[in-house]
Amino acid sequence: MSDPVFRSALAHRNDRNSVPGLSIGLTEISDRGMIDLRGAASDKKFAGAVKDVLGVALCTKPRSSASAGDITVLWLSIDQWLITCPRSAASDLHGRLVKALDGIHSLAVDVSDMRAIFRLEGDNARVVLNKGTSVDFTDGTLGAGSVRRLRYAEIAAAVHVISDAPCVMDMYLFRSYADYAWSYLSKTAAKASEVKLFGVQVGIGV
Amino acid sequence: MLVVTCPVCGVHGDETDFHCGGQAHVARPASTRPENVTDAEQRDYLFIRHNPKGLHFERWRCDRGCGKWFHAARDTVSLEFKAFYGVTELPPVELMKQATGTWAEFFKDKIKAGKAS
Amino acid sequence: MSGKPYRLSDAGRLIDRSKRVSFTFDGKTVSGFAGDTVASAVMASGQRVMGRSFKYHRPRGVVGLGSEEMNALIGVGKAERHEPNLLATKVEIFDGLSAVSQNRWPSLNHDIGAINNVLGRFFSAGFYYKTFMWPQAFWKHVYEPFIRQAAGLGKAPTGRDPDVYEQVHVHCDVLIAGAGAAGLAAAEAAAASGLRVIIADENPRLGGLCDIGGGLIDGASPLEWAKTRAAALAAADNVQVLTRTTVAGHFEDNYVLMFERVGDHDPSITAAGTPRHRLWKVRAGQIIIAAGAIERPIAFANNDRPGVMLASAARGLAARYGTAAGVNGVVFTNNDDAYRTALMLKSMGVGVARIIDSRTNPESALIDQAKAAGLDISFGSSIAGVMTSKGGKQIDGIKMSPYNRGRVTNETKVDCDFVAVSGGWNPAVHLWCHNGGKIKFDHELQTYRPDRSPDGLLIAGAANGTFDVPGALAEGYAAGEQAVALLKGKAGKIAKASATQEAQAKLEPIWFAPATGAYNEGDKHFIDQQNDVVASGLELAQREGYESVEHTKRYTTLGMATDQGKTSNILGLGVVAEATGKTIPEIGTTTFRPPYTTVSFGSIAGAHVRDRFLPVRRTAIHDWHVANGADFEPVGQWRRPYCYPKAGEDRHKAVTREILAVRNKVGLLDASTLGKIEIKGPDAGEFLDRMYTNTFSTLKEGRCRYGLMANEMGFLMDDGVTVRVGPEHFIMHTTSGGADRIAGWLEEWLQTEWPDLKVFVTPVTEQWAQFAVAGPNARKVLEKLSGDIDFSAEAFPFMTMKTGTLAGMSVRAYRISFSGELSYEIGVPANQGRALWDAILEAGAAFGIEVYGTEALHVLRAEKGFIIIGDETDNTVTAIDVGLEGLVSKKKRDFIGKRSMEQSFLKMDGRKQLVGLLTEDPNYVLPDGAHALEDATGKPPQKTLGHVTSTYMSPSIGRSIAMALIFNGRARMGETLSFSLDGKVVKAKVVEPVFYDKEGARQNV
Repeated sequence: MSDPVFRSALAHRNDRNSVPGLSIGLTEISDRGMIDLRGAASDKKFAGAVKDVLGVALCTKPRSSASAGDITVLWLSIDQWLITCPRSAASDLHGRLVKALDGIHSLAVDVSDMRAIFRLEGDNARVVLNKGTSVDFTDGTLGAGSVRRLRYAEIAAAVHVISDAPCVMDMYLFRSYADYAWSYLSKTAAKASEVKLFGVQVGIGV
Repeated sequence: MLVVTCPVCGVHGDETDFHCGGQAHVARPASTRPENVTDAEQRDYLFIRHNPKGLHFERWRCDRGCGKWFHAARDTVSLEFKAFYGVTELPPVELMKQATGTWAEFFKDKIKAGKAS
Repeated sequence: MSGKPYRLSDAGRLIDRSKRVSFTFDGKTVSGFAGDTVASAVMASGQRVMGRSFKYHRPRGVVGLGSEEMNALIGVGKAERHEPNLLATKVEIFDGLSAVSQNRWPSLNHDIGAINNVLGRFFSAGFYYKTFMWPQAFWKHVYEPFIRQAAGLGKAPTGRDPDVYEQVHVHCDVLIAGAGAAGLAAAEAAAASGLRVIIADENPRLGGLCDIGGGLIDGASPLEWAKTRAAALAAADNVQVLTRTTVAGHFEDNYVLMFERVGDHDPSITAAGTPRHRLWKVRAGQIIIAAGAIERPIAFANNDRPGVMLASAARGLAARYGTAAGVNGVVFTNNDDAYRTALMLKSMGVGVARIIDSRTNPESALIDQAKAAGLDISFGSSIAGVMTSKGGKQIDGIKMSPYNRGRVTNETKVDCDFVAVSGGWNPAVHLWCHNGGKIKFDHELQTYRPDRSPDGLLIAGAANGTFDVPGALAEGYAAGEQAVALLKGKAGKIAKASATQEAQAKLEPIWFAPATGAYNEGDKHFIDQQNDVVASGLELAQREGYESVEHTKRYTTLGMATDQGKTSNILGLGVVAEATGKTIPEIGTTTFRPPYTTVSFGSIAGAHVRDRFLPVRRTAIHDWHVANGADFEPVGQWRRPYCYPKAGEDRHKAVTREILAVRNKVGLLDASTLGKIEIKGPDAGEFLDRMYTNTFSTLKEGRCRYGLMANEMGFLMDDGVTVRVGPEHFIMHTTSGGADRIAGWLEEWLQTEWPDLKVFVTPVTEQWAQFAVAGPNARKVLEKLSGDIDFSAEAFPFMTMKTGTLAGMSVRAYRISFSGELSYEIGVPANQGRALWDAILEAGAAFGIEVYGTEALHVLRAEKGFIIIGDETDNTVTAIDVGLEGLVSKKKRDFIGKRSMEQSFLKMDGRKQLVGLLTEDPNYVLPDGAHALEDATGKPPQKTLGHVTSTYMSPSIGRSIAMALIFNGRARMGETLSFSLDGKVVKAKVVEPVFYDKEGARQNV
C-alpha cells in the first residue's frame, strides 16, 4: 500500500509475501475492502436497493458468491453477506449502501480492517487446508465460487474458492489471528510435508 | 465425533464446527407474563431439565457456519441424530410420539399442532 | 546356516543381503541387513533377551511377529528424539539407529530388580492394593518413591522434540483397515467402482500373511497375487494406500484415527523436515475391517522364557528375515496352523525336535505332510515345564507329558533351544468393538468373533474368524462390493482370483498345560507377560471375589499396558473359565478401547506446538508493545501489556509510574481488545432494554451510557459502555474477555427467544484499534493533533461521542473514563491504528504522555471503586451486591435476569456486598482472595465474613486499598475486620469502595 499510515496484520512479518519452501503459493491480500451486510433476503426492497448499488444481486444459495466488476459478494449466512471491493472504494461503497438502505431494516458496516485475507494457490492448496479443517476440500463439491465458513486449526475462518484449475483460494480470518494462521499455514504447507491424496503412488510393495 | 447437519444452511460437518446449547423447548415464562411468574416456575425454567435415556431434544448452533440456532432430536444411547428442525419449531410429529418419560408428557398436548417431517 | 547359526542362508525375503546395516542395541553394535527389524537382527546375532518383565524383572525375548509383541519393548533414538515402548518386532533398522532395552537396571544381563522374581510369592495379584495401604505416614516417604521408581516402562525423551508432526483430515468413501488377502480383495472390489478408497496397513508392506499363511491363489503363492494387487492399487488414482499406518481407533459416524509413522524407518526423511508421524483424521462412508488375527499362546510352566514364541513368529522371522528362532525347536500346538511352522522351519534347515499336539487324534493334510517330512509328533501331549540355564536366559529343553487337566504324572524330556507355540488364533476385533460392536463366542474357533455392529461396519477374513485363504478372499470381495452397494456406487468389473487351501483338522481348546505340582504352587504360567500376570494370580483373584472379568482385569492388571491384552485376553478368559468351571461366554470379555496400538503424543499435538500451540491474538499495536519492552499478560487469547518497565524498573515501579502519569499528566492505553458490537434495527432500543439491567431505549443520539448485563440467574456477566449513534443504531462495548461470548449471547436471544424483534447484530471488535487517552492533559494532546473534532468541555461533554478526523484519519471519539480522569477513547480502523498511536505519542510528548498497561488500568479503576467483571463478580454476584442497584431498572417489565433477581434468596439479608477496605498498616497490601474471619485468632475452621476481590498499593492516595465482598458489608461501614495472614492478625476498616476523587470532579473538566 502506498498509504503511509496503513499497516496490515502481517506487517511485522518479513515472510508475509514469500515463505520459503512451500508447496503452495501463500500471499497476503491487503488491498481489499470489506463490508458486512445484514438484511432479509426475502425483503424485496432490501434486495433491490442492494442490487442497485452493487450491480449484482445478493447470492442466496448457501456457500456461494456473486460478482460484478471488482465487487464480489460472499454468502455468510441466510441474512449476512461479506461484500468485497478494492480497499480504496470501500468507504464510498459503504456510504452508498447506507444511503440506499435508509429506512430499510438492515445493517451495513465497513469492516475493511476486521479481517486478514490470505491467498492460497496451487494443486496442493486443498490438502493443505485439510491439515487445519475437517471440511472436505478434496471431493470436488467446493468448486470455483464456493464460500465455506469453517473452523481452521483453532480459529474461525472462511474460504472463498476463486478458481479450480489452477487452484486459487482466499482465506478470510479475523485480523488478530493473522499471525497464528500464517504460522499454521506456513508450517503445514511446507514442501517437505506435502501429502498427495488419491493419486499414483510409488514404493508400495509386499 | 458426531456429524451434524444444519437445517438452516444445509451444511454437514463435524460437531467441532457446531455448538450444543443444551436442552430444547425450554419455555421462558417471563417472556410472556413477566409480572406473573412464581418462584417455582422460575426454578423449573432455570434448572429442571429432561434427562432421558433415549430420544432427546437439543438446541444446537451452526457455530462455524451460518451462525444460526436450530433444534435436533438425538438418541442419547446410540448418539444418532433423528431429526434437525427449526429453532422455533416443534419436532416432527412421529418423534413427539416416540418420546418417552417426561418428554412424552411435555409433548402430549403439542402433537396435534405438530407437523410430520 | 551361514556364518552365524541364527541367520539362515536361503531364507529371508525382506532382507537385502547386499546392504549391511549397523546399529546399536544397549550400546553394543549389531550388524543386520536392510529390511531387518531390531528383533530379527538382534536375534540373528544370537541374542535372545530383549528386555526384563515389569514386575518380576524376568528375562524376556521376542514372542510375536508384529504388533502383538508384548515383551520386546525398546526405546529408540537418543536424547530429545528418544521414543520409549516401541516394539522391536516393528522397528525397522537403519545405519546408526540406537535402541535400548527397558525395565532393567543396571543392565539386561544383571538386573537387580530380578530379586522380585524370588520374592514373587509376595507380589501376588492385587499386590499394590494389599501392600501400600498403611500406615498413612509411609505414603510420602516410602511407598510413593518406591512406586515411582518401579513404575512405568521406558524413559521419556530428554528435551523438546525437534521433529515435525502433523495431522490431516481426509474423507473417503471406503476405508479398509488391513491389507492382507481379505483387505486387498476388498480394496479391489471397492476401487473398481471409482469411489475414493483408502487402504491402510500397519506394516511397511502390503499382503498380510500372504507369504506365510499357506494356500494358493490362482495356482501360485498368495504373495504373487498380493504383489499384483499392490501394484494395481498404487497405480489407481482413486485409491490411497498407506503403509506403516495403523487404523488406531473407530468412533461415531465412521470417524477414524489413523497413525502413520512417516519417517521413523529412515532418518533422511525427518532430516528433510518431513513429519515424523502423521495423524490421519478420516471420515469414511463405509469401513471394512480386514485387520487379520492374532495368534494366542498356551499357558505352560515358565512359558515366558526367552525362546518361547508364537508359532507364526518363528515362521515369519525365518521366512521374512532369515532369522532362526534357534537351532532345534519344539512346536506346541492345538491346531493345524503350527504345522506350517514346523514344515517351513524344517525345509529351511532349522531343527524341529518334535511337534507336541494336545489333540488326541487329529487327521488332516498338514499333519500328513508333517509325517511325510519325517517330523516327530506327540499327540495328546502338552508341555509341563521349560528347563533353562544361565538364569533363565537359555532354554535347554522342555518337559513333555500326556495332556490332561489334572496333575502331571509322567514327564519326558525333549532337548530344544526354542519353543514355537500356537493355541489358535483370535480375530482382531478391536476396531469392530471400539464404537460398540458386539462380539460372540465361537466354539469351533474357541474365541470371540464379530457379531453385530451398530455402525454397519463390514468385516472380512481373519478378523471375522475366517482363517482360510479362499474364505478370506471371498469375504473380502463381498465386503468391497457391499460397501459400494451401500454407498449407491456403481459396481466395477473385476476378475476375481480363485484360491485353494487344504482342509484343516479342528482346533481343540487348551488354555492351561499343567506342570509338576499344583498350578498355584511352583512355576509360573504366564498369561499376560507384559504385566507379569500369571495363572495363579487369576485364580487367586477369583478366590478373593474379583469374579467379574472387569474386576479381574483391574485387580490383576490382565490385559493392561501397551499391548492391551492382544495375546493374553482370550487366554486369560480360558484360564479363568477352567478355574471356575464356567464357560468363556459366561465370563464375558473386557472392553476393547482405542487406540489399537500406541499413538505418539507428537502426532496428537500435530502442528499445534510452539507459536501454534494456542492462537495468540495480536492488536494492531502488538509489535510496538514488543519493541517497547511490554511485559505481557494473557487476557483471553490476547496478550496485553501488563506494564512497560523501563531500564532498572521492576513491575511495581513501572506500574506506579504509569498510574501517576495518568493522574498527573496523561497516559495512553491500547484498549483495542474491548468488545465492540454494532446493533441496529427498529427494535434495537427495546432489545437493549431486555439485555441490560438498565435502560437504553431512552438514550439520546450521541450519548454514551454504562450498562450492566446479568445472566438469567440474575448474576452479573458483563458490562461496558453503549452509545447511540443513530435513531435505530447503537454501538455496544463489552469486556475484552466477553467480546465473542456477548455477541453470541445477543444473537442467541434474538434468534431463539425474540425472533420477532427486528434487530441486526454485527460484532466489529477487530475492525477498530481503540486507545484511551487519559489524564489532565488528555484534551491538550488531542487538540494538538490536526482534525475537525472539538474536544472542548462545552462541545464534547462527558459521556458523549463524536466522529470526525484526527491526524488525518477517520475516528470515533468517546468521552468516557475508567480511570476517573479526563479521558477520551479514540477508535480508528485497525490498519491505521499504529499510525494514530504514533501520532498521539508524538503529540503527547510535550505533555508528559506515558503508555500504561492493564495493571495501571486496574489500579486506577479500583481507586475509583469501579468493578471488573470477573474480579468483583464470580457468577454469584448481582448488581445489587456490588452496590449498583441504581442500574437495575424497576420500570422495565422484563430484562434478562430480572425475574431471578426478585427471587427471595437473592433479596434476603446476609448476602455478600461490595465494600472498600483500608488496612490499619497503610503499607500492607492484603492478598487477593484473603478471607476476613469472625475470629482471626481462633483455630480453624473459622467462619468467613467474606473475601478480598481486588487489592493494590494505590500510588494516587499513597496507601494500600482493597475491595471485598463481605456479608452484610454495607451495614458494617466503619467496622474493623480481621484477617489471619502470615501468622499474624491483620486488621482492616470497612469503608465505601471509592478511594480517590469521591465527587468525580476530575473526569468532568
